[in-house]
Amino acid sequence: MARSGADVLKITGLTAGYGPLRVLHEIDFKVAEGERVGLVGLNGHGKTTLFRAISSLVGWQSGSILLNGAEVGGARSSGPGRRTPAIVRAGLAMTPQGDAIFPGLTVAQHLDCGAYTPKAWKDRKARRDMVFDIFPPLRKLEHALVGRLSGGERRMVSVGRALMVEARLYLIDEPSLGLAPKISASVIEALFALPQDGRALVIAEQNVALLSGRVDRMVGMHAGRIRGDVGHVSLH
Amino acid sequence: MDISVTLINGLNLAAIYGLMAIGISLLWSSVGMINMAHGATFAASGYAAWLVADATKALVLAAFGKGLLTTSLMAGITLTAGAGFGALFGALIYLLAFLPIHDKPNFPVRSLIVTLAINLATVQGLLWYFGPKQKNLPKIFGTGKLEFLGLSARYDQIGAILATAVILGLTLFWLKTSRKGLEIRAMMQNPEGAVLSGISVRWTALPVTMLTGALAGLAAILLSQTIFVSPTSGTMPLIKGLTIALLGGLGSVPGAVAGAIIIGFLEAIVGAIPFLGQRYVLFATFLFIIIVLIIRPRGLGGLLDEARK
Repeated sequence: MARSGADVLKITGLTAGYGPLRVLHEIDFKVAEGERVGLVGLNGHGKTTLFRAISSLVGWQSGSILLNGAEVGGARSSGPGRRTPAIVRAGLAMTPQGDAIFPGLTVAQHLDCGAYTPKAWKDRKARRDMVFDIFPPLRKLEHALVGRLSGGERRMVSVGRALMVEARLYLIDEPSLGLAPKISASVIEALFALPQDGRALVIAEQNVALLSGRVDRMVGMHAGRIRGDVGHVSLH
Repeated sequence: MDISVTLINGLNLAAIYGLMAIGISLLWSSVGMINMAHGATFAASGYAAWLVADATKALVLAAFGKGLLTTSLMAGITLTAGAGFGALFGALIYLLAFLPIHDKPNFPVRSLIVTLAINLATVQGLLWYFGPKQKNLPKIFGTGKLEFLGLSARYDQIGAILATAVILGLTLFWLKTSRKGLEIRAMMQNPEGAVLSGISVRWTALPVTMLTGALAGLAAILLSQTIFVSPTSGTMPLIKGLTIALLGGLGSVPGAVAGAIIIGFLEAIVGAIPFLGQRYVLFATFLFIIIVLIIRPRGLGGLLDEARK
């Protein structure tokens, strides 16, 4: 698979945390165009914090984050979430841990929230259809309230929301978390079935078996530091 | 105790309180601020409408003479001036109490303090400029009584009830169908999910503050059909609006409507019972709200909303 092209994401010297707590230590991390990266590591070693630092949602951070060559990082000690909408509009799509669901919206409305560019909003119906093709169980739930869906269906809505616009970089945090093995396998299946066309995908996951053989590269995280390319881990 | 009078009074109070409570509730759930300046918006909009009506009255009278056309034109001018100034005042609150501090720690407490300061400053400013004398707004619904099925109600009461129903209907329709409404509802339900969907808090907060300001302005015009405009006229509606928003469960629009109807009728009924009367209205209201909140600390909202987190 192609590792050509420019870097979609280039992080240098990223340190981040919450209040007095320092979670990430001087991280350097790169993702190339069209690449699929698995980010593996145990609970509490900084995978989620890395994603949240990229989207400017942690308490404080410093260090450079280049998204499509544009600086979206820098030093910041207050206002988590303030810059997030701008970063999202610069080409980031992220589904956070716990799904960040809007419980009172219907599935269709929830997906529409993801169509924030004028073009995506205009043909949101076609894009919803595309998401329903990827996650067929959602089609007949189009007008159901998201708050009433099962965990697996919520995960699909959450990932589907991120697919409503053409982002350059997709960060998917723990797609298998809290789901039955069969359902988490089908969610992962759908993620890898997505057309690649230049979008880079980073999946944080504890269940290495779900990713092995499917990603271009696996990167380990330990105690808030990147532990180099793990390479292909085969458990089969 | 006359049932029909109590019924109409109850609905009339419910209408005004509902407009205030929904404004407070919407602003809290989408932007995360308790707007203590809602009463100031109410009073200032009343004065703005009075100024505009006073300035245009002679002109309209000279142009169209006395008649239905003049009354309805003055009604339009007064309502537009009240709602428009309310929206402007909402934008002012946005600029002073939201924009500079919304991403600082303890924003809810800070904004509470700033809006409280705006409220005090506005009331004192109005008192200083206009004096304590009460002002009369034009009767936008005309004067008179309507007899219907044995019920008898004044025009201003019927007008306030119907106008509120229309305004709230339009507001809810806009929230349900428009794109901005979708963004606001997303923000209410999950702020983090909203920013990850590219929805900016800063650009969503402005229409919300302006909308809630306009609702307070309309409430001021409608209440001023029954009582007068004065510098402190916003205090009671603010307190009622806040407590009803709490009773309804902050953030729940159906809860706020239900709360307003319950409190409106409770006040009308307590006021009509001979041995209790107006003196015990506030006492009964707060007693009721306290009891409800002891039993259900989250208010009525959760009972009515279809899905929760």
